[in-house]
Amino acid sequence: MNFDFTAEENELKRRVAGVFTGEAVSEAQLMERASLEELKRTTGDFLRKLGEIGYLSLCLGPAQASESLKLLAAQEDVARISGSLFLSVETTARLFGGLVAGFGAHDQFSDLLALLAGGRIIAAVAVSEDERPDSGPGFSTVAWEDGESFIVSGTKPFVTNAPIADYIAVAASLDGKPAIFIVKPGDHAVVVGPRLETLGYNGLAVASLELREVRVPKEMVIGPLQNPTLIEFLRRTQDLLLTAASVGLMRRTLTESKKHADSHLRGGKPIFARQEIRFKIAEMLTLTQTAQLLCYRAAWMYSVSDAEAHAVLHCAKVFSAEASERVASMGVQILAGTGYVSGNPVEQAYRESKYAALAGTTTELARMSIAEELLKRHQV
Amino acid sequence: MDFALTEEQLMFKEQVLKFARREIVGRVQDHDLRGQFDFQSWKKLGEFGILGLHFPEELGGGGADVITSVLAAEALGEAGVDGGLTLSYGAHTYLCADTIFRHGTDVQRHKYIPKLASGDWIGCMGLTEPGAGSDVASLRTRAERKGDSWVLNGTKMFITNGAIADVAVIYAKTDPSAGHAGISAFIVEKGTPGFSVSRSLHKMGVRTSPTSELVFQDCVIPVENMLGYEGNGFIMAMQTVEWDRSTLLAPFLGSISFLIQRCCRYAQERQQFGRPIAYFQAVKHKIADLKIFLEAARSLVYRIAWCKDQGRPLNHLEAAIAKLFVGDWSLDPINDAMLLHGGYGYCHEYDVERVFRDSRLAPIGGGTSDIQKVIISRLM
Ligand SMILES: Cc1cc2nc3c(=O)[nH]c(=O)nc-3n(C[C@H](O)[C@H](O)[C@H](O)COP(=O)(O)OP(=O)(O)OC[C@H]3O[C@@H](n4cnc5c(N)ncnc54)[C@H](O)[C@@H]3O)c2cc1C
Ligand SMILES: Cc1cc2nc3c(=O)[nH]c(=O)nc-3n(C[C@H](O)[C@H](O)[C@H](O)COP(=O)(O)OP(=O)(O)OC[C@H]3O[C@@H](n4cnc5c(N)ncnc54)[C@H](O)[C@@H]3O)c2cc1C
Repeated sequence: MNFDFTAEENELKRRVAGVFTGEAVSEAQLMERASLEELKRTTGDFLRKLGEIGYLSLCLGPAQASESLKLLAAQEDVARISGSLFLSVETTARLFGGLVAGFGAHDQFSDLLALLAGGRIIAAVAVSEDERPDSGPGFSTVAWEDGESFIVSGTKPFVTNAPIADYIAVAASLDGKPAIFIVKPGDHAVVVGPRLETLGYNGLAVASLELREVRVPKEMVIGPLQNPTLIEFLRRTQDLLLTAASVGLMRRTLTESKKHADSHLRGGKPIFARQEIRFKIAEMLTLTQTAQLLCYRAAWMYSVSDAEAHAVLHCAKVFSAEASERVASMGVQILAGTGYVSGNPVEQAYRESKYAALAGTTTELARMSIAEELLKRHQV
Repeated sequence: MDFALTEEQLMFKEQVLKFARREIVGRVQDHDLRGQFDFQSWKKLGEFGILGLHFPEELGGGGADVITSVLAAEALGEAGVDGGLTLSYGAHTYLCADTIFRHGTDVQRHKYIPKLASGDWIGCMGLTEPGAGSDVASLRTRAERKGDSWVLNGTKMFITNGAIADVAVIYAKTDPSAGHAGISAFIVEKGTPGFSVSRSLHKMGVRTSPTSELVFQDCVIPVENMLGYEGNGFIMAMQTVEWDRSTLLAPFLGSISFLIQRCCRYAQERQQFGRPIAYFQAVKHKIADLKIFLEAARSLVYRIAWCKDQGRPLNHLEAAIAKLFVGDWSLDPINDAMLLHGGYGYCHEYDVERVFRDSRLAPIGGGTSDIQKVIISRLM
């Protein structure tokens, strides 16, 4: 057992900190109000910087799960600076990159992977749909073979990065199995909808995607694949990065709340002098550290292929998502009027905190999965 | 970071689990109902080596590290050993014996530790008083030097094992004007004139562990019965508190595993509306919440144990966070475990009722949750 970061883990954290120096932090935070053009440029700039420190090449695909813990420790540092930037970067690196590196045939995407590693492209992954068919791989987006290529048709309601992406990986059903089709938004048959306005993560470019019989060359297709493997990989990757997002959000909220409580005077004293305030902050720290340790342990379990890794990740996902909502809510309460005004980091965290519970494996489905596994283990 | 336990640690935990199920659990319900200490189980704990696990072998101990001690305590809870017996064990081994071991002279160590490690003698620790609980520094028990003796006068309240203890570590003021720095610790043996048990308390939970009021009336003890040096008592008490917030929390973790087994079994056996209640999502939700709490709390408790094994002194922040989390966040899932059992959950016949009562001590004993928040916010 060792509760200290290793030299290697610390080194990655140090390099991430080097990317986010004073000015870069403000730039990342300005993304919340940025236009699509500005977003594309800023995200691209940060991707290149993160590429230079090797951040984008880590933990790509199931075969590299042993790097999960090292990565998570650095991921929460990025998430602490800007949740929107974090989700955008991770969608490119870990979701898109993980699919390409982990499921593509040997050498199939070496050029694309080099671009990804250097932070030269922005990518999106379109999986979820409005209606999931009960049978088959669970996609109503379908593909069929047509000579040397495939034709793909369907709609995806929410696709992160779609409006600024160079490539989009689309999950579709091919002969009753899931497959991934890599398309380019420049194609006229690839229709990216208008940018969606969301409750939080306003610095994220999310839109719907429609594929109108898009032709995809064979070399840009992954699969057909075994259903559980692909879906499990996507869920697990997303759940891990959402736990990092939640921990980052809690740390950001805690810092801002403590800063405010130390400097805001009421009755001639900083409000931190009052138990009603300082006890909230103590609770916020408790939740943050608890979530942090639980997330590290879940990531470690993946690193060592522990049989209980799935269940513990679901625990970490639910706990960190719900704790982040509570921490953000207490943060707003501490900042009071200031915290209620738009544009404040704590107000932003409050809006963002809802996302982790409903994205990836929703808290409802995660709880059902945790319980079902336990019921199986303790079968009578 | 690395969360791995060694093979030996895991094997030992398994052995304790089997031992407790075989030798102790069968008598738990009866003793709990009668509110009686189980001397037979105590003897078995001593024979198995639990009571002196972390002491050096030459003093009759097992030479175990703190993590192993935590795992052993967790295993007791997981087997279904009641919170009363585990509290008695904690107060005996950690609050009493460990304080003598850590601060005693060689003579004191050799005189007491072997007898305490074997369970032949029972130990207790008296810090709290009728008028001094959270505010330890306000304790009023007085120790006055008279020639070659110390004379103790005062009352101690809520003392675990008080009525059955052969030896007590008692905190008293040697300098009433010096606040914390005026507190010293003494060893008092049963039968010392002037030392008596005035009453035993009837409690909601942890009923097999006797809780008593102790009275010192011109109680004369030899001068060599002082532990450590004059004025160092507060520091010593705070060091025992770390045990309170690691090893003593471990049985709570274990009892959650115990509840998970019980709930899974009951949910599959109990039929309502023509199907096992495990079918209902609301029932699964409760089972999942036990697991989420367990996994969240686990790393916090192991972290303090690990810090202790590393020889890191006084991890107050980590300890307070663990204590606060276990104390406050365990209440809802344990309540839900009781609800899952419906009317049966309210009856003694089902172990869940006992665990519910026992667990209510977690946010009170060893420093209330409020006091943990005081500590955390002070250290931030
Ligand atoms: C900003 C944003 C960005 C996104 N980006 C992407 C992206 O890049 N790529 C992508 O593929 N997707 C993306 N999504 C989609 C996201 O992954 C889904 O919203 C999420 O998986 C939940 O699916 P849903 O909205 O269809 O909810 P539903 O599945 O319709 O669920 C509705 C509610 O019912 C509950 N529920 C459903 N089934 C059960 C059940 N069996 N038992 C109990 N409760 C149940 C759910 O937990 C939830 O509370 C994004 C969404 C948003 C909001
Ligand atoms: C079953 C049991 C076994 C015990 N075993 C032992 C033992 O072996 N040895 C021993 O020495 N003691 C023992 N105790 C005592 C235990 O440690 C105390 O009960 C505990 O520390 C609380 O003290 P108190 O009961 O005097 O409560 P009080 O200190 O009177 O507190 C009452 C309430 O006021 C709150 N409060 C107090 N101060 C503050 C503050 N500054 N800010 C905010 N809120 C505050 C508390 O949180 C609590 O809610 C035991 C208690 C029990 C119930």
